Amino acid sequence: MAEEVGSTRESLAWNPGRETVHADEKTGEPEVFLEPLLWGLFSLGGFITAFLFPITVFLLFVAPVFGLWPTDPAAYATFAAHWQEPLVRLFFFALIGGSLFHGTHRLKFMLVDAGLRGPGIEAALDIILNAIAIVGTLGALYYAVRGWLFV
Amino acid sequence: MVSALYGLIFLNLLRTLRDGESAYTSFVDTMRTPPILYVNLVLFALLVWHAVSWFMLIGKAQPIQFTDRPLPWKSVFGVNVLLWIGVSAAAVYLIFGGI
Repeated sequence: MAEEVGSTRESLAWNPGRETVHADEKTGEPEVFLEPLLWGLFSLGGFITAFLFPITVFLLFVAPVFGLWPTDPAAYATFAAHWQEPLVRLFFFALIGGSLFHGTHRLKFMLVDAGLRGPGIEAALDIILNAIAIVGTLGALYYAVRGWLFV
Repeated sequence: MVSALYGLIFLNLLRTLRDGESAYTSFVDTMRTPPILYVNLVLFALLVWHAVSWFMLIGKAQPIQFTDRPLPWKSVFGVNVLLWIGVSAAAVYLIFGGI
């Protein structure tokens, strides 16, 4: 039996995370798989975006223009030299993949809130936006392993 | 949404890097030249706001449960900001070669 919940769907009792609370088991409904996966990627991308994007954009596109940084990290010779390091490739792969899954998922719900509702429209948004995220992430993976695993 | 836009921008940065110095330098110069520079500044401000609001949200949307009672969201926010500074400093040295 599920824990008692209020009208706002908030738990009325403090659950310190040591006891698992399950919703009442529903029968006859297909198991949801994709939705939590996409929300998980959204959350992971949110963390990646929050922690890593500001410093990256600042160093590559903002600071050198206004003389706020002694070197230019985006200069071709500098960036190309750093790009040889696997950690830098992993960094940009995570940055691009995370940001795409985070941003496209958020955009979907912005469009739904703006009035693009309905099972057909939402399914189309899911396909288009997730396709952008998946193709972009695969593109980042291609550039990350190119010159390392293959020429 | 801004993050996805920057994701595509960085993807294009890697594409131009593959294409050689001329293409790469041309793209970076475009990103640093008005009016794209002004758009960049606005988007950068939105990115910083996204980070701050994300850290403010963590302690509210997902209460941290190390103790019997959840930690106050302001404490969680403070810890995340400190982590943010540490991660940014690490990125400066490990990814961009330091100062």
